Formats: sequence, structure tokens, C-alpha cells
Amino acid sequence: MAELRTVPDGPAAAPVVVPGGDRDSRFARRMIIAGASILSVVALVAVFAPLLSQWGETEIDAANTLVAPGGSHLLGTDGNGMDIWSRVLYAARLDLGIALAAVALAVVVGTLLGLVAGYFGGWLDDVLMRVVDIFQSFPTFILALAVAALLGNGTINLIITIAAVNAPAYARLVRAEVRSLRELPFVDAAITSGASPVGVLWRHLLPNSLTPVRVIAPLNCGWAMLTLAGLSFLGLGVSIPEAEWGAMISLGAADVVGGRWWTSVPPGLALFVCVLGFSLLGEGLQDRANAKRR
Amino acid sequence: MLSIENLSVTIRRPGRQVAALSGVSFAVRPGEVVGLVGESGGGKSMVARAVVGLLPGGSHATGRVLFGDSDVLRMDDVALAAHRGRGVAICFQNPRGALSPTRTIGKQLVDRLATHQEMSGERAREAARELFEAVGIRSPQRRLDAYAHELSGGMAQRVMISLATGCAPELLIADEPTTGLDVTLTREILRQFRHAADTDGRGVLLISHDLASIAEVCDRVVVLYAGTVVESGPAAQVLREPAHPYTRALLRSVPDVGGRPVVATPGAMPLLTEAPHNCPFVARCAHADGTCSSRRPATVPVPGGGEWSLACFHPQTRPLDAGLPQPSHTPAATGAVTAGADAKPAVLEIEDAHVVYRSRFGSGGHHALRGVTLRLGPGETLGVVGESGCGKSTLAKLVMGLVAPTSGTVTVAGQALVKQPGRARPRGRALRWARTRAQLVFQDPIGSLSPRRPVGDSIAEPLRAAGLSPAQRAERVTAVLDRMELDRSILQRYPHELSGGQAQRIGIARALVGEPDLIVFDEPTSALDVTVQAQILDVIADVAADADRASVFISHDLATVRGFADRVVVLYLGRVVEEGPVDVVFDTPRHPYTRALLGSAPRLGGTTGSDGEAVELVKDLEEADAATGCPLAARCPFVTDRCRAEQQELQSYGESRAACWRVPELPALIGRQAVTP
Repeated sequence: MAELRTVPDGPAAAPVVVPGGDRDSRFARRMIIAGASILSVVALVAVFAPLLSQWGETEIDAANTLVAPGGSHLLGTDGNGMDIWSRVLYAARLDLGIALAAVALAVVVGTLLGLVAGYFGGWLDDVLMRVVDIFQSFPTFILALAVAALLGNGTINLIITIAAVNAPAYARLVRAEVRSLRELPFVDAAITSGASPVGVLWRHLLPNSLTPVRVIAPLNCGWAMLTLAGLSFLGLGVSIPEAEWGAMISLGAADVVGGRWWTSVPPGLALFVCVLGFSLLGEGLQDRANAKRR
Repeated sequence: MLSIENLSVTIRRPGRQVAALSGVSFAVRPGEVVGLVGESGGGKSMVARAVVGLLPGGSHATGRVLFGDSDVLRMDDVALAAHRGRGVAICFQNPRGALSPTRTIGKQLVDRLATHQEMSGERAREAARELFEAVGIRSPQRRLDAYAHELSGGMAQRVMISLATGCAPELLIADEPTTGLDVTLTREILRQFRHAADTDGRGVLLISHDLASIAEVCDRVVVLYAGTVVESGPAAQVLREPAHPYTRALLRSVPDVGGRPVVATPGAMPLLTEAPHNCPFVARCAHADGTCSSRRPATVPVPGGGEWSLACFHPQTRPLDAGLPQPSHTPAATGAVTAGADAKPAVLEIEDAHVVYRSRFGSGGHHALRGVTLRLGPGETLGVVGESGCGKSTLAKLVMGLVAPTSGTVTVAGQALVKQPGRARPRGRALRWARTRAQLVFQDPIGSLSPRRPVGDSIAEPLRAAGLSPAQRAERVTAVLDRMELDRSILQRYPHELSGGQAQRIGIARALVGEPDLIVFDEPTSALDVTVQAQILDVIADVAADADRASVFISHDLATVRGFADRVVVLYLGRVVEEGPVDVVFDTPRHPYTRALLGSAPRLGGTTGSDGEAVELVKDLEEADAATGCPLAARCPFVTDRCRAEQQELQSYGESRAACWRVPELPALIGRQAVTP
């Protein structure tokens, strides 16, 4: 690894090279690029799904149910005669859309709660954090099930459910960040410059407390997508004719047992690739943030 | 023992390259203390890293670092492991950070002894106790079982020294060992290094940004600038008549307690990407000519100077102070200002203020201020000095309304900024406006600016509270930028893109922009390099001279206060122990504590304090307890039973006031102490 150049002046003049210094950040950059590329492809597929498939999202080819891949159905059809390839592509819209919307909602709500709790402290902090404790003390999926069952089906309700499960983490993260930022001189500087509490929160604490949020949010999108798929798999998510990967896996589960793998494997793979994209992006951002801190 | 020959280190990383060291050569012999000085970015720490074989990743090093007869740069891992610990040991700048927080300091020391000296547990513990005793740690047996967080800064640095010396290294490196320590401790710690060289014959490499403070214990000094050695030689000679313009600039930038004015050198150290082909100091040098900018001066011995050598085409020979304006004492002006202030309404009034920080769990708390009374009129500048923990920062926060007094009152421009017993305070918009009447300049210039907002926003913050329109704000901001001699393009930059000096100018601009009645400077230069410090002190002196505004200048460094304060207050453990016109307090200190502070302050020429009259405190600060009686009782060499029993009140002695009943006897007592040490 050491690059040793020979210099005419003899051994003492040859530079001693200490390797390293940039490996971590280079690796992080590759992860970010890989994750972003995967997600861009998924996003493009979601947008151009009608151009990439010859069947509609819920179009039924009644004559051909459960046909194997090949021919006019690239990845075969399911038990209702719907084209798997088309549905996998169309499902990207719903999966990506719900996951992003849910995480965005969780970030907004969680950040606001964390800001207020962290800055004002006292009884407000106690009350908010105990509520967060209650949310976090349930296993994530059980909580999601409970909320989903309570709210009922529908895209909006799904977004709320998944956001409710994820918001407490942001509240905690931002609260911790605000509590340490609050002790820094720039906050004192803002107060002595006559900034109002809202001004201090909005102009000074908010922009500075978002660093960890930026890192966690992409990872969180991956988890949100898995939660969505899980809920759909259990029948609490997207209703059947609409294309969603979890629901498709669920629908095809019985056929897989009968040897017809193409009903469930393609949506499963799509889900896998998408979550991988989010994970790579998130991990990469995290590593880069850590490298910067050093 | 250590011989560095033509060492160059370039750090290459994607997108940037830094020439950290360019052809550095010097040596350290056994029993010798060598001081390595220069400002941050000059390459001091890189030298230390090269000597212990810890160059950062991406380094390309040429030249040799000879220790004995082997080259550290080319050692393999096995040789390096033996070299570190037995050969060289290093004391870090932040001793508490360098100690493991979860193991007792005794265990950490015993571990080292067991590894490097192959001692058994019992013997190692005994040796550890002796080492602690040797560095002046009282009750060492008890301290062995302490954790790092239980130690004060000075104690932690002593532990670091014992850790470093414990393995009997041939060379001891100390990287800024006293930065952040109080003056009274600094001397004590530096003596430990001198002691290590004298009694054990170790070589010591002492790294510091402050030439004057380390010069006393050094045999030789090496001055680094932008990765090159500009001057090196016997400490006394270099300090008395430095030949290189940079060395002179360094020394002149540091204010001294004698009242010598600070001379600022414009500009900042360049960040080189490759070894310089000219004199790196050329852009800032008053003596530079064409030769300096086209060729790099070779290091040559100073004629008749023995080991003294420098790299300069125009060596200076005059004594440092020649051609400088003599210190101007203007006691008349001081008196006039004070007299005038009494007539006008006071800008700041503090009446018998106490501040107690309640501990979060259970009872008790920290009594940070114990009955401080101050009054400051417009145009006046008050200096506040004291060691860390004396309540300086609490006083700043109290004035700014960031903490509330537990009892007593604080009034700024006639208004109360915080809730205080029996007083109303404005609310809402009125409070926001009242807050902008007093402004604070912070110790940490970059940390006091919001990291994710352009600095233009930060400067305009007080104007926002005053309800000015964006256009009016922009106008006022540009006006204040001009006064700070900053370019307008800086408004769009973010704090992390600024140098310390620029950031502090921004901080002062923010304080000034709303035209407040009072500005509090809380150690505004202690985080800056010395030449930058001098530039900022110039700016502050200018701002503090504004006739319609009062200033409070808080510092642990007596010398900076002397420069421009009218009156000075000495704080000790939350009490005012001495107060008076600045020249009177500095020239004829009354209180034993003030005498001790002045005695420990470094002066140019390598001597300290008012010799013969200096008071040596007997213990470290953390061992003092101020519950009853005189707060200094535990450390004062002249303590009596009366001191321990009676609370001391300020009494007038001549023009100043001091809280000590023995003031009249002190000169005689000090004389006796000097005879029988």
C-alpha cells in the first residue's frame, strides 16, 4: 500500500508514506452513490410504469390466470389473471409514496415535539417524553397493527399509522440534540441579542438540530416500507386490487406453496432492492457525518 | 538524544494538500528543556507526532527523526512500541480527555508501570504513590483511587506528567501542557518539567504558543512559522533580543503586566500547500524586500551567538522595546471619568448579588457569587480578573440576564433583565429591547455564532429585536462591518469558514450593531493565537474607548486588563477581594491574592512578577474551602486564626480597596517570608 518512490539522494530522501486518511469517506461516498442510484431507478420506474408495461395495474386477463413467466406476460400472472411485471412496477408508486410521506410526517411531528420538549424542559418535557416512552415501549409492529386497526384502511390512514410509529424516535433524537445545543454560546448570544423564544427555536435551534435527522430519515424510509408491506401482508394495508408489494406477496403466498414462485418472488425482490437502496444511502450519510466529525 | 534532520511532512488527501513541515531541523539533548513555540498551524504538534511515530494518515514524510541512532520514521511496529513509553512519552494538552474516564488514575498508572517497567502489582502501586508525590500531589494514597472526572485541570495535568515520567522515558514531550490553566498553576506545572530535566536527566520538548510563559524553564527555544524553523537559540537570548521579525511579533503581541503596549502584526499565517520557495513571513513583515519574496532564507548562525541561528535576510538587533511608545499612564483621565460617572445615571448597578447554582439532586449547591457590589457609569471600562472558578463567567451571565441572582439586584440601564427578589421586569417586546442594551462578546468566537446561519444573520440579530426593517438592518450591518475592517463578502459565509480572528470581529460587530449601553467582553481573546489576539485587543480598545458606552472586560490574564481598563476588580471564589484604579492595583497591589496573581504573571525578559514582593500561595485552588472567614485562608501564607473566623470586608487602602485586615503588615511579612522560605 505504501507508495515508495526512489529519489536519487539516497534512502533518507525517500518519502515515508503513511497510508490512509481518506478510505472511510471514499467508502461512504460509494455507498451514497449506490443507494441514490438504486432509488433513482425505482423512482423512474414508478413514474414511467405505464410506458414500461403493456398491462394496466389492475387489468385482468381472465383467460390466463397463473401462467408462468414468458410470452405476453413477462413475469406471468397471478390467480386473478393480473400481470405480475406490470403490478410490480406500478406498486413502486404506492410503496415509495407512502413510505416517503409517512417519514416526512414523522420527521415534522417528531422534530416539533423534540424541539419544544428539549428547549422548554420542565413539566412539558416530562409529559411529552412519557407519551413518547409509551409509544416506544410497544414493539413497533404491534403498535402499527393497533393503530392501523383503530384508524381503518386507506392510504391516508396508512401514512398516519406509519408516521405515528416512527415519530417518537425523531422526538427523542431532536430533544437530545436541542438539550446539548441549548448549552452552547450561540444560544446565549441569540437570547442576549433579544431573540424571542420562538425565534431562538426556529432560527437557531431547528437548523442546527437537523443533522442526525438527515442521517436517520433515509434509513427510516426503508423501515417504513417494510412496515407498510407487513401491514398489507396482514390485510391491514392497501386493499387488494391496488398494486402494493406486501399485498402482492400475501396474495401469492398460497400459490408459492404450489410451486408457482412468480406470484410472490418478484414483489419480494422489488421490496428488497428498494430497502437496500435506502439502507445504503442512510449508512453512507451516517459514515460521512461521522467522518466529518473526526 | 533526539535529532530531527530536515524533516518535511506533506499531508495529501483527496482535494487538498498541506505542507505541514518544510525542512525542520533541531535537537534535544539529555537534561535539556527545549521550547517549541509558534502559533497554531505552525506545525508544532506535527513535530510531536513525528517524534512518537504517529503521523496522520496521508502523510508523506522526508528527512530523519533520529532517536539515539535509529530513525523513528522508519521504525517497524515492534520497535515503535518499545520507543513509545520507554523512549519518549507525551503529555497531552487536554489531560482530562487523555485519561480513561472509567478506570481510576492509580490503575492507569500501575498498568503503564506493569507494561513498560515489568513491575509486579504491589511494587507498581508503591511506585505510583511515589510518582504522585514527586509531581506535588498531596495525599497521593487517596488520589490513586480517584477517577479522572474528580480531578481539577491542574491535578489532571500532574497525573499526566506522572504517567509520562513513570516509564522513565529518555524524552518527555509536553504538548501545550499549561494552556487553559491559571497563572498560579502554570508556573508550578512548568517547574515540574524543569525538575524532570534536572533531576533525572531527561530531555524535555515543551510545546507552547506562549513564548514568554515557557521561556523561564527552557534552555533553548525553537520558533516555528508555517512549518519552518525561523529562529532557534538559547532562551534568554532569544527572549531578550529576538532577531527574527516573527519572534519579535510574537513577543510584542503579548501584553505584559508591566503595562507595555501591545503591538499588533497584521495578517495571518499562510496555509501552505507545498514547501515555501520564499520567506513564509514575507507578507506580514515590515522589513521585507524583493529578496524575501523571491528566495527562501537559509538557516544561518547568528554571529557570536553560539547556538543561536535564524532564517532571515534582515536580522534585527535592537532590543525589543526600542522605538515603541512608552506605556502611557493617565491616572488623571481615569479619575475624571470616574468622577463624571457618578453624576450620570449608572449603566450597570449590582447590589450585593449572590448566585447559587442549586444542584439538581438533593440539597446543596455551588455558591458562585457571594455578595458582589459594582457600579459602572457611561464611558467607563471595568476589568474583572481572577482564576477559573472565581465566578467571572457567572458575573457575565448575571449582567446579561442569563442567570438570576439568588439575592441582591442587578440593573442594566435602569432595568432588570431577570426575575429578581422584589422587582418587576419588562416582558415580551420590552424585555427583548432591554436585553439588547447590554451585549456580550464571548470567549469562543466560532461557537457563539449559529453554525447553520450566514454570519450576516447573526450580526443583525439585535436589530431584529429592535424592530428594524431589512433595509435598515443591512445599512447598520455594513456600517459596523466597516468599523471592524471586514469585507462585505463575509456576510454570506458560515461560522466554520471563518478564522478565529474573523469570527471574533463578527462577534464584536454583533455586540456593537445595536449601539448598546454596555458591552461585556468575557475572555474575548483567550481562544485566539497571540498575533491575532493583539489585533483583536486593538479593536476592543477602540470600542471600549467609545465615550457613551460602558465596558466590562473579563479575563484571567492580568496583562490584557491593564491595557485599557480604568478600574479593576479582582475576584476570588465569588468575592471581590480587591478593587481600584487599574494602575494603582497593578503597581501597588494590597491583597495577598492580587500579589500572588501579579507575581505569577510572566514578564518579558524571562523574569516574573515584582520580584521579592511576590506572594506564593501554599496550595492549589481545589483544596480551598470558602465556607467561613477569608476565602483565601486555606492558601494564604499569612493566615491567622482571625482570618479563618472573620468574614473580610473591603476597606480603603489609599486609592484602592482590599478585603484583608493584614494589608498594613504585609510588606514586612513578605520580607520575612523571602528570608526564611
